Amino acid sequence: MIEIRLHGRGGQGAVTASRILATAAYEEGQYSQAIPMYGTERRGAPLTAFVRLDNQRVRERMLVHNPDISIVLDPLIAKQQAVVDDLKEGGLVLLNTAESPEDVKLGGDFKVATVDATTIALETLGRPITNTAILGAFVKITGAMKLESIEKAIKKYFPGRLGDMNIAAVRRSYEEVKGPIQAVVKTGSQEKIDINVGGYGVLKDVSSWRLFTPEIDVDKCIGCKNCWIFCPETAIQWDEAKKKPYFEYRKCKGCGVCENECPVKAIEMVRVEV
Amino acid sequence: MSYEVMVGNKAAATACKLARVQVASAFPITPQTTITQYLSEMYANAEWDFDFVNVEGELSSQVVVQGASRVGARTFTCTSGPGLLYMHHPMQTTGSGRLPVVMAVVHRSYKGMQPDHSDLMSQEWTGWAHWYVEHAQEILDTILMAYKVAEDPRIRIPIAVGYDGYVLSYTAEPVEIPDQDLVDEWLPPNKAIPEVLPDKVDPSTFGRGWGGGDPQMAWKVHHDAILKIEEVHKEVMDSFEKTFGRRYGNAMIETYKMEDAEVAIMAMGTITGTCKAAVDRMQANGKKVGLIKLRSYIPFPNKDLLEWGKKLGGIAVVDRSICPGKGGPSFQKLRDTLFDLKDKERPKMLQFHAGLGGKEVRVRDFEMIGDKILKVAKGGKVENLVTWV
Amino acid sequence: MSERITRVQIPMEEMGITPGSACQGCGAALAARLAFKALGPNVIRHGIPCCPDTVTATPQVGGVFEGGGALLTGTSRGLKALGREDVLSVGFFGDGGTYDIGFQGLSAAAERNENILVITKDNEAYMNTGNQRSGSTPKYAITSTNPVGPNSRGKGQQKKNIPFIFAAHYVPYVATASVAFPEDLIAKVNYAKTIKGFRMIIIQSPCPVGWRFEPEKTIEIARAGVQSGVWPLYEIMDGKDFKLNYKPKELKPVTEYLKPQARFRHMTEAEIAEVQEDTASKWQNVLKADEMGRVVI
Repeated sequence: MIEIRLHGRGGQGAVTASRILATAAYEEGQYSQAIPMYGTERRGAPLTAFVRLDNQRVRERMLVHNPDISIVLDPLIAKQQAVVDDLKEGGLVLLNTAESPEDVKLGGDFKVATVDATTIALETLGRPITNTAILGAFVKITGAMKLESIEKAIKKYFPGRLGDMNIAAVRRSYEEVKGPIQAVVKTGSQEKIDINVGGYGVLKDVSSWRLFTPEIDVDKCIGCKNCWIFCPETAIQWDEAKKKPYFEYRKCKGCGVCENECPVKAIEMVRVEV
Repeated sequence: MSYEVMVGNKAAATACKLARVQVASAFPITPQTTITQYLSEMYANAEWDFDFVNVEGELSSQVVVQGASRVGARTFTCTSGPGLLYMHHPMQTTGSGRLPVVMAVVHRSYKGMQPDHSDLMSQEWTGWAHWYVEHAQEILDTILMAYKVAEDPRIRIPIAVGYDGYVLSYTAEPVEIPDQDLVDEWLPPNKAIPEVLPDKVDPSTFGRGWGGGDPQMAWKVHHDAILKIEEVHKEVMDSFEKTFGRRYGNAMIETYKMEDAEVAIMAMGTITGTCKAAVDRMQANGKKVGLIKLRSYIPFPNKDLLEWGKKLGGIAVVDRSICPGKGGPSFQKLRDTLFDLKDKERPKMLQFHAGLGGKEVRVRDFEMIGDKILKVAKGGKVENLVTWV
Repeated sequence: MSERITRVQIPMEEMGITPGSACQGCGAALAARLAFKALGPNVIRHGIPCCPDTVTATPQVGGVFEGGGALLTGTSRGLKALGREDVLSVGFFGDGGTYDIGFQGLSAAAERNENILVITKDNEAYMNTGNQRSGSTPKYAITSTNPVGPNSRGKGQQKKNIPFIFAAHYVPYVATASVAFPEDLIAKVNYAKTIKGFRMIIIQSPCPVGWRFEPEKTIEIARAGVQSGVWPLYEIMDGKDFKLNYKPKELKPVTEYLKPQARFRHMTEAEIAEVQEDTASKWQNVLKADEMGRVVI
């Protein structure tokens, strides 16, 4: 049995990726089980899904606690040490990142493979949805199933032209994946950012939700307080003395409302460095 | 102390007044209807500092008392049959919320308007204590005791007090009404912990998400809390007798002429009264049949019944309800309780269904039951484990 | 009725404890932030099933989905019995708990004129469970239970007129509000705090995920809703006196509101024209009511 953990964001198809894998496996007579991490999935919030592949019906009905393989669909989440937590010794992590496996900073006893699935998705699908793009890389580095099976499965989920585009993405990632090599770093960063966000309640830090970060040019600011009043997370505070806003970034999800509502374009949403 | 010849529903309303209930809410349904009227009259006449909320349906009545109870008011609601089913959803949140609500369930069958215990029995899973009473005096006394038990800081579990519709709710009997002063002394105001008030709230409770921690624990804590009721209920019964001069067995069960009994009939509600009359007749004829009146169904009197079980040759369990496809609730529970007795000690047990759908249960029915259990206890063959009377 | 305020009069203090677990750009999170800013700490906040929005530094009471009206009633009556009528019973509910499953209990509470404040964050579908249609979903909107296909053009029926329905219970105060007009929203909450009896404020809260637009456009779309007449801002006192709070000389065309939302993307020209006509007609109604200063119910 192979146990796989997928890391992605709400609304970016991690769950669909797990279903495609499971379907592809069944095409080859392999049984499977695809589990989302149960919880309310918020748009933009990091989340987790699981897949088991076996040559008999999967009996265990629980989460995957020690995956053989961790697949990370999002380049920012790919930087979090947590994606390699609890991997079986000698396990494998596949990251969506422009970095080469040698440059990856995650540490431990596992193999690393990387593929720039975001760029591939942008170029083949026109959108940065990497759930299918990464599956070609997966098949190449594991040999767990044939590429044709993935393609058949994709056709089941995405008919017509959409299916063709996704297949193009799959084929490219099959060709372009680098590694796997043994992880260069032995001990990874101990900083823990929550990559499993679900349910209700107050969170500590939502920085990992951002693909864009707001930056303000205070000289342009006219003090209208639009950004302050319209921020849903009170990530923007108001300095009464200076009559200017300032950010509390741990509360900012990068929604972009502040940039949109600023009448003088003093705020710019800047792409988070990948 | 005074008395009045009053119907069962009036006894319930009178208990609310004596207990100085602060907020009550109910929706009329036969055979509970007149309680809502009595309470409305009492409210209109400003008989005490009390608020009665006329709601548009039973579900809302449960939620209203839930809300009022949570901020610390003493509350009361009442319903019957389908009305109880309708409020099943919030009933379990009252239970889970550990709110000391007291509810009178005026029994009405699912299948018709006449009484049987299907309404309250089917709410086993809502996390309340379930008590059953026999006559109008017991209604009044038990509701008072229910507040004292429910509000005890060791308990804080809602309590449903069930009594049969029509034959009790609408039948008049003389009821002794304790002095208000005596009740005030014995039952002080509810000291609920109003942590929900803004000036008393613990800020660390803000923003707690769902999940986290062992999700099973809430069930275990709730279950254990209900089991604890037995101890407090017995204390309160002792205290009630001391103050008001009446008691009902040891709170969990009430026995009738069990001193020399060889077998017992076990039952709940008004039919236990009829059974008492039958026991008198049977014992006069030398038949050693006694009654174990089951007062507390949840929590179940395991300890008491184990003790009695060891002494008796047979127990005839009369269930005034059946879970369709499964069987009679107190019969099955009794068998479970007595299972671990050694073969020699374990009494013979027979299941009887009587009074379902409101079917009348008569003295002679109990005499028949008494004969059957005696026969089997003396070694006779069990012809039918289950008999429909 | 409410007294107008300016931006400088908006209290600086935040009652929200952030960040929360709402989606990026959540309109309801902003609605909660603004409403509770105005309400302050001396409230008991009641919640029933709905999306997470903004957690507030207030005591919380939760209840069953269909029980919002009854729960507020219980708290309010209990507070009265305890001599604590200074504390306000506030409900912060979604459209499901207001228009549909919660409607019966709320209607009864309104009919009894309970001393409670109901604030509804209206995102026009059961969003927490994945965007299923509700009585609040507008005609032609796509939801997961009203998809578009040969048999369906999205929701086939109109949105319920909840403000007028509750006004027809002759309660002291019913108002509509929008997250794009924070001064108006806060002024209305301020007013609601000063009176007793059943009060309701319905805040249109755009949902980027369900309405399908980029999160940065939340306020823009809320504004377009008001400026095109789809979501008029008004208040009704005692089911009688009427005031239209935002009255532009000319309404923007509804396309400004519909086009940015992919939940309306499938609409034909004819369907858009239908919505335009319907909006214009309903706008005439509120203009007339404003002219008379009263509603005819």
